[in-house]
Amino acid sequence: MPDAYMGSILRVDLSGETISEERIPDSIYENYLSGLGLAAYILFKEIPAGADPLGPDNILGFVSGLLTGTGSLFAGRWMVTGKSPLTGGWGDANCGGTFSPAIKRCGYDGIFIRGISENPVYLYVTGEKAELRDASHVWGKDAVEAEKMLVAETGPRSRVALIGEAGEKRSLISGICNDGGRIAARSGLGAVMGSKRLKAVVLNGAKRIPVHDRDAVHKLSGKCGQWVRMQSPLIPGGMMAYLGAFMRFLPVQMALDGMLYKMFLRKWGTGSMNQMSVEMGDAPVKNWLGSHIDFTAKKSAATNPDILKQREIIKYHCYACPLGCGGICSTKGKYARTHKPEYESVIALGGLCMNNDIESIFYLNELLNRAGMDTISAGATVAFAIECYESGVITRHDTGGLELTWGNSTAIVELVRAMIRREGIGDILADGSRKAAERIGGDAKSHAVHAGGQEPGMHDGRDDPGYALHYSVEPTPGRHTIGSFMYYEMFQLWKVIKGLPRIWPLYMKGSKYTANKKKAVMGAACSRFMNVVNGAGLCLFGTFLGAKRIPTFDWINAATGWSRTPEEYMEIGGRIQTVKQLFNIKHGIEPNNFLLTGRATGDPPLVEGANAGRTVDIKGMIRDYWKQFGWDEKTGKPTAESVIRSGIRED
Amino acid sequence: MSFTITDECNGCGACVKFCPVDAIRGEKQEVHVIHDMLCIECGACGRICPVEAVRDGEGNRCVPVRKSMWEKPVFNHKNCISCTICIDACPVGCLALARLPTAKDPHGYPGLKDEKACIGCGFCASECPTDAITMAVPEIKVKRGAHG
Repeated sequence: MPDAYMGSILRVDLSGETISEERIPDSIYENYLSGLGLAAYILFKEIPAGADPLGPDNILGFVSGLLTGTGSLFAGRWMVTGKSPLTGGWGDANCGGTFSPAIKRCGYDGIFIRGISENPVYLYVTGEKAELRDASHVWGKDAVEAEKMLVAETGPRSRVALIGEAGEKRSLISGICNDGGRIAARSGLGAVMGSKRLKAVVLNGAKRIPVHDRDAVHKLSGKCGQWVRMQSPLIPGGMMAYLGAFMRFLPVQMALDGMLYKMFLRKWGTGSMNQMSVEMGDAPVKNWLGSHIDFTAKKSAATNPDILKQREIIKYHCYACPLGCGGICSTKGKYARTHKPEYESVIALGGLCMNNDIESIFYLNELLNRAGMDTISAGATVAFAIECYESGVITRHDTGGLELTWGNSTAIVELVRAMIRREGIGDILADGSRKAAERIGGDAKSHAVHAGGQEPGMHDGRDDPGYALHYSVEPTPGRHTIGSFMYYEMFQLWKVIKGLPRIWPLYMKGSKYTANKKKAVMGAACSRFMNVVNGAGLCLFGTFLGAKRIPTFDWINAATGWSRTPEEYMEIGGRIQTVKQLFNIKHGIEPNNFLLTGRATGDPPLVEGANAGRTVDIKGMIRDYWKQFGWDEKTGKPTAESVIRSGIRED
Repeated sequence: MSFTITDECNGCGACVKFCPVDAIRGEKQEVHVIHDMLCIECGACGRICPVEAVRDGEGNRCVPVRKSMWEKPVFNHKNCISCTICIDACPVGCLALARLPTAKDPHGYPGLKDEKACIGCGFCASECPTDAITMAVPEIKVKRGAHG
């Protein structure tokens, strides 16, 4: 009997309407964990080279985590995986809520769906059966409304992952929603689900999840929970901007201990960083051309975390989360309740577009969550369109009369609505900024900021070059949830893994921008570790507590009965990274083409603001990073030797 | 190991009504069968069976308990970390998170949303990572004794 994992996956072919169950050998879990690793193994093997991401050969994989349901805390993340129509390479997106344990409670570690259905359908799975059902009555409904309807017809314990209008219309920046508007937003996998005419996956199982030593897991969780509950009084939210400004003035960088960030998250959520990040240079402003001088603390005051918190009715906890960084808020206008806008959404729809109308941000956040469109890519594409308008690349005629100027919240709202409906200019923009620039032509290309087609997260590599590195080197480019210098500082992996460099509490800011081996080791450690985290189904924010406070590796050992060292788990993380990179090579991706747009790495450098004059040696950092995996340092392609060494079998 | 039903079963169907995973099949007045792949060992069938025809995973005879005396979860909010693991563990979905009525604490805490639906399986207590849940017969029922 397996422990911690269910040992089976569900396979669905929408073309032939066949559904089958498949046992997965223990050795696969031992070599790839579950979750992301399991999906990487299966999709690399099975999606044929050159498959159309929106065609029948693409496989959409919904996976839970190895630690989900074992009593480990923070283990409530599920992932959707597939070939990304946005980048053409490996695609994944991660989300919380209650969907992750629901996969396992149906008896599976993952659900893998290929083919294309003739008519809209949804997949209904219980512990006993799986069937395809007609979804014509929910097709066209927004994700929140459709979820309510599906729960009403299948029972209150049902957990639903589904697409909204954006996914149905195959927007390449659409994601997959669950739990009332949470969203696995990135990589454009909502479009893959839409292309399959699969409206939803509805899970209603109650199977028990086997655990090798539940008491040991609980003991570890108890200690971890105590760290999470430790909370000291914090400064008022309005002071966070001044804290950011103070950090901007300092010539030295303070290494961040995740306990401090944890306290911010518990009190305010990710929104704690709204103003602070703009002030310290972490948040991109004005489509990566501006700074706190353009979007002043006075302008960003509307996003003061205390103001957002006033709307909070109750904290939102994902499954197994003791932290509760989310919140259910009241909102004015059409929607009475909404998930509290996250930092990424606030910046992408706010500072990046020079928009400080908080009502519009609340509304757009809910609108995009219901439509199932990625707020990061949507906000970044709007910022791109505004820059095109302001520089004359597109005119009022092109925008259908919209006065698309910086900070014009009325026009931004109308534009986003048009993008969701794919109407007029919205149709041109609905697939992200790279595609839009190709369609517009002319100078538009110079205004699009992306890495391999995906808009980067709202953390500026000119402030923390670790972000720029991971935006450019990951098989899923443009992602802010894998690594940065700050993440490495918070992970504190050197405390449990031999040979990793430790970070001192203070270091010179200038030292961040040059490439060297130490930074490559740190970057590779982040990638490896996050593959383990995503194989386990853990939350990134939990891992910020630091390796001594969140027992990632000990939890896996206690839950599975394995007895492996952290180093061995990091090796597995490296193996998963190599498989994802091999996936991209198989599908014709040149890793160098994922290089982040120059302006976001300081090429050319900004002339004012926190990041003035800073240029990241991104090519040097990339070269060093690839060396860490034994890949070709010029092309980023895994060498035959590195593939053998990582233990990947070509079967 | 799955629960089983012996041929002492009189086919009354009480267990079918309480099984949260629809694992029990059988015609009225005939011996019922538990599907071993579906059974989650919650024990509801054993507690409700009037003729003691149910055996647990280890083959022990299950003793019926009057429904009003079934144990229910009691929450110790001091230990609780609002992780919601209990809510997911509940096979009948009778728990929910809510803010405590008097506290300023913005976090929600679990409680019995639907006491009648609770089958007393204790999964919430066994999966709680911080021992914040104990199973007990509701006090008012204890006072009233078996007549409750």
